[in-house]
Amino acid sequence: MRLEKCWFCSSTVYPGHGIQFVRNDAKVFRFCRSKCHKNFKMKRNPRKVKWTKAYRRLHGKDMTQDSTFEFERKRNRPERYDRNLAENTLKAIKKIAKVREDRAAGHHAFRMKGKKAKKQREEAKELEQGITLVKAPSVLQEEPSLTLPKIKVKVSHQESQENRAMEE
Amino acid sequence: MVQYNFKKITVVPSATDFINIILSRTQRQTPTVVHKGYAISRLRQFYMRKVKYTQQNFHDKLSTIIEEFPRLDDIHPFYGDLLHVLYNKDHYKLALGAINTARNQIGKVAKDYVKLLKYGDSLYRCKSLKVAALGRMCTLVKKLSGSLAYLEQIRQHMARLPSIDPNTRTLLICGYPNVGKSSFMNKITRADVDVQPYAFTTKSLFVGHTDYKYLRYQVIDTPGILDRPFEDRNIIEMCSITALAHLRSAVLFFLDISGSCGYSIAQQAALFHSIKSLFMNKPLMIVCNKTDLQPLEGLSEGDMKLVMEMKAEAMKTVIGQGGEATDDEGVLLTMSTLTEDGVMAVKNAACGRLLNQRVEIKMKSKKINDCLNRFHVAIPKPRDQKERPACIPQAVLEARAQQAAEKEKRKTERDLEDENGGAGVYSASLKKNYILANEEWKEDILPEILDGHNVADFIDPDILMRLEELEREEGMRQVEDDEDFEMDGKDLTPEEQEALAAIRKKKSMLIQQHRVKKSTAESRPTVPRKFDKSREFTTKRMGRQLSSLGLDPSLAIERARSRSRGRKRERSPERGDAMDVDTDESNKKLRTRSRSRSRSMSRPPTEFVPGAGFKDSEQKVKAIKLAKKSVKKRNKNARRGEADRVIPTLKPKHLFSGKRSIGKTDRR
Repeated sequence: MRLEKCWFCSSTVYPGHGIQFVRNDAKVFRFCRSKCHKNFKMKRNPRKVKWTKAYRRLHGKDMTQDSTFEFERKRNRPERYDRNLAENTLKAIKKIAKVREDRAAGHHAFRMKGKKAKKQREEAKELEQGITLVKAPSVLQEEPSLTLPKIKVKVSHQESQENRAMEE
Repeated sequence: MVQYNFKKITVVPSATDFINIILSRTQRQTPTVVHKGYAISRLRQFYMRKVKYTQQNFHDKLSTIIEEFPRLDDIHPFYGDLLHVLYNKDHYKLALGAINTARNQIGKVAKDYVKLLKYGDSLYRCKSLKVAALGRMCTLVKKLSGSLAYLEQIRQHMARLPSIDPNTRTLLICGYPNVGKSSFMNKITRADVDVQPYAFTTKSLFVGHTDYKYLRYQVIDTPGILDRPFEDRNIIEMCSITALAHLRSAVLFFLDISGSCGYSIAQQAALFHSIKSLFMNKPLMIVCNKTDLQPLEGLSEGDMKLVMEMKAEAMKTVIGQGGEATDDEGVLLTMSTLTEDGVMAVKNAACGRLLNQRVEIKMKSKKINDCLNRFHVAIPKPRDQKERPACIPQAVLEARAQQAAEKEKRKTERDLEDENGGAGVYSASLKKNYILANEEWKEDILPEILDGHNVADFIDPDILMRLEELEREEGMRQVEDDEDFEMDGKDLTPEEQEALAAIRKKKSMLIQQHRVKKSTAESRPTVPRKFDKSREFTTKRMGRQLSSLGLDPSLAIERARSRSRGRKRERSPERGDAMDVDTDESNKKLRTRSRSRSRSMSRPPTEFVPGAGFKDSEQKVKAIKLAKKSVKKRNKNARRGEADRVIPTLKPKHLFSGKRSIGKTDRR
């Protein structure tokens, strides 16, 4: 009894589930459920279908290369049974799975981190370059900080005079 | 040994059928078209051909019939007699004779008419001759109808006769009706003869075959014979009599000693004596059947005596064949077909006796001498009295002994299975013979699947080592991660963020304006604006912009004001008394304007503004009127502009469908 991988979405196919399709050239396609099977019959490329593992790996959403993947490899020659080896293997499987999970989480976190530093750098640059649009160079020389200048509101005498003339 | 097989005789058609067949064949196979304009020789030839063709066909068919039916004198007398018994020899011969005659007569008819046809002078005459010829031939055949029907019946019956080889080893079973002949037959052969409680169940001869000492024996079951004078016998009995008479076989006379067939032993004995003449030169056996109902020893005196008489008669035949006088074992036998007790013994005895007899006869005949020198069994004469047994090497003997012992000693898996409850209960332990480092591990169960992984994919002798490496790697990676986290970066302060927002806003405003300018570039007049219509360039504005940049605008404003002439004049009503006279009216206007200066007022559209593109206000008024006129029609049609040719519905339904209440719908 073996757990197989679905050809389309790469999820595990447990015994009693799914469909196996054998093509005329003797290539076997295993599907975990009819959704994948029908997509296959529609000739869709799993690398272009967003929810499949193939897409996610190809577009860097999920971890692709890692040493934990080397542990799980289909071996064609069976090993002679050794109780100790079996025990160790069973324990190791759990540990390897944990390591793999952690690494995948790290990959995800890195991906979601965002372009904070980049953004900050860009903003700083923009600010430095564009400060002249809002602050006169002479003012900038006096006050070299990259902030808006303090606006001095000057009350003009002529204006007050005019008003008085109208009040008459 | 010719196997008499009457199944291959062709079907004899009835007279009418026969005629139809021949005539239709003539019609089909000879040319049919003829006109009276043909040459006379051609006409004659045409009709002669038809006549000859018909005659030929009749001849052929009748010949086949005559040849295929067997000639009673030429076949084995057994068959001859059998056929005579069944079909009456005379009748048979008469029928075949009639056919022969008809054949000859048809030939004659044809010859005559062909002769006549040679001298036919017209189409009509030739045709009539042909018609007459064919007609006479057909009449002859019609007369044969009785014979043909009779022959057909015979043919059908003959096909069903059993194929008995008269020359091979045969056992003949005879006796009264219901004594158990057919049951015996069923027991020793594969023949499935009807066995019923009533007499004359078997109505004809039946053949079966049985084996004895690698030789095949025919066993013939006959219908029962009653004790009657020869002349009174019916056809069925005659069949068995014929068989008895002609077949060189061993005869088993069946006797029912229990009397359950309905006839007493006395009657059966009487029959025996009446037909004992037929048993000449045949090994005879008396078989007492139905001993389960009445054992031989329990018979009454009289019956016993009768039986002994029959036995004596049978002994005579034994002696006649040259067997020992004391060999009475093979003469009188008892058996029961119901319990199958003694059946095989009877068969073996009968077969054995027949075989011996045949061998004896062969030996006595002259022909054997020709054969004898063809086979010769060589037996080496012993040179001396020394014993010389077969020589087998010791090793081989030992090996054989060992093998034998092993075969007994070894316990097979099947034995084990049987011990532990049989096939359904016990399932063999396939892990019994595993070769492992430790014997205790043989019965271990290892899971194939764990947490969605195949365990078999992970099994690796150096998995521990690799796991250690992995854990080390993981440890290092975690340390690195922690270090990486400190790189936070500098955020912008809120004031800086404000500044950035202002910058971005200004940039987007510039872009927007530029886009508007670009899009209206074509429609914008290239006339320079000498005068500021939209009041964009005011000192206030300039002041605002400069102060937003952080500069002090006062100086710039003053300088701008000092440069503009219009402002100076307007702004000083106290000065310039000398100018009062000239600019009285204008001053009035100015004053009215200045008074209403606190309220904003737009320029009237008809006002002449120098530099705007018109000569005077009259021209401007005219231009405005023209513009309004041109726009009025479009506005009424709800068009947005000159270029608006949009039709909201290209095919309104009411114009393109519907019948007219009056008139035609030629055009739409």
